[in-house]
Amino acid sequence: MTAPVTPQVKVAPSEPATSSRGRRIGPRTTKALISLGSLWLFALLVALWWLGSNNSHSSFFPPLRLTLIRFRQLWLFADVRTDLAPSLFHLAIGYAIASVLGIAVGALMWALPLLRQASSPVVYFLYVLPAPILIPAVLVLFGIGASMSVAIISFACVWPILLNTLDGMRGTDQLKIDTARSLGLSYWRRLWSVVLPGASPQIVAGLRAGLQVGIILMVVSEEVGSTQGIGFFILQAQENFAGTDMWTGILVLGVVGTVLNVLFVAGERFALRWYYGSRAAARER
Amino acid sequence: MATTTRGVSAPGTSRGGGRWYTTRTTNLAARLALIAVLLGIWQLLVVGGALNKDAFPTMSSTLAALVDQIHTSACWTTVAQTLEGWGVGVALGCVAAIVLGSAIGLSRFAYRSTIPVIEFLKAVPVVAILPIAIVEFGTRLSMKMVLVAFGVFFPLVIQVIYGVRSVDPTVADTATSLQVRGARRFFVVVIPSAAPFIATGVRIAAATGLVIEIVAELIGGGAGLGQRILAAENAGPSSLPVMYAFILITGLIGVTLTGIFTVAERRTLRWHESQRNIVSRGAS
Repeated sequence: MTAPVTPQVKVAPSEPATSSRGRRIGPRTTKALISLGSLWLFALLVALWWLGSNNSHSSFFPPLRLTLIRFRQLWLFADVRTDLAPSLFHLAIGYAIASVLGIAVGALMWALPLLRQASSPVVYFLYVLPAPILIPAVLVLFGIGASMSVAIISFACVWPILLNTLDGMRGTDQLKIDTARSLGLSYWRRLWSVVLPGASPQIVAGLRAGLQVGIILMVVSEEVGSTQGIGFFILQAQENFAGTDMWTGILVLGVVGTVLNVLFVAGERFALRWYYGSRAAARER
Repeated sequence: MATTTRGVSAPGTSRGGGRWYTTRTTNLAARLALIAVLLGIWQLLVVGGALNKDAFPTMSSTLAALVDQIHTSACWTTVAQTLEGWGVGVALGCVAAIVLGSAIGLSRFAYRSTIPVIEFLKAVPVVAILPIAIVEFGTRLSMKMVLVAFGVFFPLVIQVIYGVRSVDPTVADTATSLQVRGARRFFVVVIPSAAPFIATGVRIAAATGLVIEIVAELIGGGAGLGQRILAAENAGPSSLPVMYAFILITGLIGVTLTGIFTVAERRTLRWHESQRNIVSRGAS
């Protein structure tokens, strides 16, 4: 067994930790109060940052007060259109290409064992190759601009999606496939209604890993070779000694990262609600 | 246990049944054949003109450059510079994450309080703080190390926290009734049950660390493979083969490092799985 499976073995769940001891979670309001109470450290750290930086005159560590004022000037919402929207657009296209390709080729490799075996060293090599190292090469091929960003984002995202798809499909219980076959389901029907749903939790895990890779590559590709976008904005602010602007950019990236993550988890919860439901049922037994 | 163990085949099971030897030979042949075919297509595409020679080197010139480079000491210095920043950064990040993660995971209050902060900081892509690191540390080794350690810390600390908190209630209660407390409880009960989480986290950290190291070299200008490749790009079309040779070298380093960590992880897991199988068999 030397297929390039990624042993996604013990990975912390993305869902907020409900107590594993099967304690019932209280009504929604209690839950909100608890999460509010758990935010004290967050608030404390922000307060410390505010007070500690308030008298700072260093251009690269400006007072938080000034950063927030500047943030409002820049990002609500003038620069969002010019500096953030293009980045997110490139990410969306690259990620979409990678998702379709990753799932389709992953399924193809599952269906054709010889292809899977033959391609495993190549796929593994491309998977572990740190994608940013290809940026100079992609830059030569595509030049500076949108297509370069999209190309490197989709290249980097495709491998975790592909490998998790393949892995999830290979994990399908043979008994289920045999049952479906004896029920007379066609090959495509088996693929569509038995193998794909069974693999979907892991495909989603791959999509989540791909999204994180994609955000990194979005920023890095703009920092190396671009004339627009949030990565370009941050690096240019640093080179112009505009420390306050730079910090607003970092805040924007923090917000973008958090929002995309929350959106993904919400989508995952919705798409896989049957799965979480069955797992919860299994736990209560 | 809420997590699945899908994705790892149980050691010792091979699908081919009795004829695994011939399957293995066929597989090896298929793999080598595919690599040869891909290299051939690469060469043909460039020589045939489908790919612009000024943007993409031929396969033969790239492999020649690779052989050339491997015989220079400068190449190995570059590799060592990358490995140095990676190694120290990953080690720092891992030690910090394991120590702090254990401390946080053992206290419900600390867990509740820190999780929002950690989740937010984890969502900030590490490349965002790169400019701060450049300002603070310049292009020195410490810049790369700090970035790698920072980037590795947050994903791993979450793994450690969940691992420490995942102790089987039965095991925990047994330990309590046997009055296993303090440091003994930590090393005998908590760490063994968290070990698979930590092993997976460290493997992921090693791979992430290499990506961040390369980014720090590409953008921050720290010495190493990233900077070498950027220099080759700037030198024009004639050094394209050298650039791709270094990309291949980087990939091979990735393969080696990931291989080492995967094997190490399998070792810890094999032990763990066998323990769990015995437990579940005993229970049924």
